[in-house]
Amino acid sequence: MTPSPVPIKHQRPSFWQRLRTGNLSETQLGILLLLPALLTLAVVMLYPVFSVLWQSVHGEHLLRPQEGSPFVGFKHFEKLLWGRDMVWDLKNLWGWRLLGVLGIVYIWFLALKGNLKKRIALLSSIALFLIALVWMGFHPGEEGRWADPRFWNAFQITIFLLGSSVVGSFLVGLPLALLANVQSPIKWLGRVALLLPWAMPRAFTGLTFAWLFQSDYGVINDIFRRIGLNNLFHAILNPAIIGDNGIFWLAREMPAIIAVTLTIIWKTSSFVALILLAGLQSIDKSLYEAATVDGASAWQRFWRVTLPLLRPSIAVALIFRTLTAIQTFDEPYAMTKGGPGRTLETLGMYIYNTNNASNIGYAAALSVLLFVISLTITIFYLRWIYSND
Amino acid sequence: MIETHSLRNKILLNIGIVLLIIGGVFPILWLFLTSLKLDGELTRLPITYLPDAPTLRNYVSVFQDNPFGRFLLNSIIVSLSSTLLCVLFSALAGYALARLKIPGSRAILIGIVMTSMFPALVLLVPLYRLFIGVEIPILSIFVNYLEQLGFGNWPTEVTTPGLLNTYAALIIPYVALSIPISTLTLTSFFQLIPEDLESAAMVDGSSRIGALFRIVAPLSAPGIVTAGIIVFVNSWNEFLLAFTFNTAMNMRTVPVGIVLYQGEFSFDWSIISSALILGIVPVVILIIFFQQRIISGLTAGGVKG
Repeated sequence: MTPSPVPIKHQRPSFWQRLRTGNLSETQLGILLLLPALLTLAVVMLYPVFSVLWQSVHGEHLLRPQEGSPFVGFKHFEKLLWGRDMVWDLKNLWGWRLLGVLGIVYIWFLALKGNLKKRIALLSSIALFLIALVWMGFHPGEEGRWADPRFWNAFQITIFLLGSSVVGSFLVGLPLALLANVQSPIKWLGRVALLLPWAMPRAFTGLTFAWLFQSDYGVINDIFRRIGLNNLFHAILNPAIIGDNGIFWLAREMPAIIAVTLTIIWKTSSFVALILLAGLQSIDKSLYEAATVDGASAWQRFWRVTLPLLRPSIAVALIFRTLTAIQTFDEPYAMTKGGPGRTLETLGMYIYNTNNASNIGYAAALSVLLFVISLTITIFYLRWIYSND
Repeated sequence: MIETHSLRNKILLNIGIVLLIIGGVFPILWLFLTSLKLDGELTRLPITYLPDAPTLRNYVSVFQDNPFGRFLLNSIIVSLSSTLLCVLFSALAGYALARLKIPGSRAILIGIVMTSMFPALVLLVPLYRLFIGVEIPILSIFVNYLEQLGFGNWPTEVTTPGLLNTYAALIIPYVALSIPISTLTLTSFFQLIPEDLESAAMVDGSSRIGALFRIVAPLSAPGIVTAGIIVFVNSWNEFLLAFTFNTAMNMRTVPVGIVLYQGEFSFDWSIISSALILGIVPVVILIIFFQQRIISGLTAGGVKG
């Protein structure tokens, strides 16, 4: 009886052997190629999300290292949004406020589930009503104020800059895109002029406009002086915000807000225009010809053909504008350092300052709040886009 | 498109374009004019528009009396390394997504693009904490165990390296923040390259990776340039993270350097404006030469949604 021969094993080469010989399956190779990008994203985006969530419920303060990072629960958020001593029962105002918040969340939920078009009007009116209440000084809190007035001020400034600069950048950006789409011998120069504001560092934009808005030697006040507007301003404006040489743009609150808004609009409207320009170029020219044959005027063609077909581009530009506007930091910081005083401190600046003051836990809680706000906006926009497809 | 047949419309539209150009260029032009004036001229009323005696002395002073050269060097190192790494990573990923049969590749692409909506501001606190150095619990336990066994003398806790005020502290987040847009740009470029070319190369005996580097990479050079420019501009312009992580004088990038300089020493606007002009020169050169590419790359995201 001869021993049966050892069966020759056709062993598949190991992963590393196949890697060396370039003999991987497509999927394996694909995953290998994707790995560096995905790992970087994981380290820089996934890890911070967990880390910031963890830190927001811990009380780490770098100047008090002996305390370590004790667990503090939602203390930071209570300090931000409510009072430290909250009594969560229905006899107390807080109970009713909680109910109110739940109600709003429920309406939100309905809006996200149901037909969006009708609900958007409802939602935005609710949001406007709430903003209006807040604007009138009707803040929840024991003395008509939230527990952290500095947060509340930063929130208001951020929302104001967001609203005004997003609307402003579209009002300026759409005409710019239409102009840049016109055939003209100086078209390329127009494109360079569109790209310049996009490519300026935001901090540089702030510094540049701080110089343009300088109250004595700035060119804006000089132009106002030359065309005689300065005398008009002296007559109608509060004397506290205007001097001999013109408006104190950056040293008084209201002019500073206007100056910062205009700066952000200058910087961002070119981005809006570039996105809309791409949308314009993808519109089929024959649609215009057909509309012209049907006797539509240029105005009608704009409203009936251009604008509806631009909707996807408008949505994209709107999403990115809103998401960057929540993080506004560079321009107001470079222009006034959040001043005069702390009146122009945005949420971004507050997070930066808190982090700089070594209060890691509180800064993390602020970041979580900001993250939740921008996540909500993202989800809302995405559903809006996909429901329209 | 607006009707351009009548002469009146043409003139009106061209006036509009001229206004657009003035609006875009004027602040930078004003900065340039300021940089040519001496400080005495800047604090004189009425202000002059064209410099009395144009001089380049401010530009010399920027380099001689101030560490601006160092800022410039830092910015160049950081931006170039992030650009190279980011384009490399996203080219590999883009090739995999465009060409290889990976289950759920479309979902992966959408996921990567979605991360561009991630607010960079949220990175500030956790990355700052990470770059100070955080404890790695598993390694600490392991090291303590080693010490108990009598192998060497170890610190009680093992932390990640402190990266504040290093180039890595900026390069790591910049690469990640630009991966979404450059991956999207490169994926769409790779999809445009005919697949036959690649299969032909593979029949000729080169491996898949060989074909990638010999056939696909040269053909996708325009896409790589586009992605590279956008990543470069993003990294060159980033302010908040650099302002938080790298504040030591010799590690500041250009935007951080100039903004902090203006705050720490009350500086002449003539010096600041020369520094600002020098800071935007690289970007302006890129724009003038590659405007069409930049626009197409920037709007790739817009068109795809």
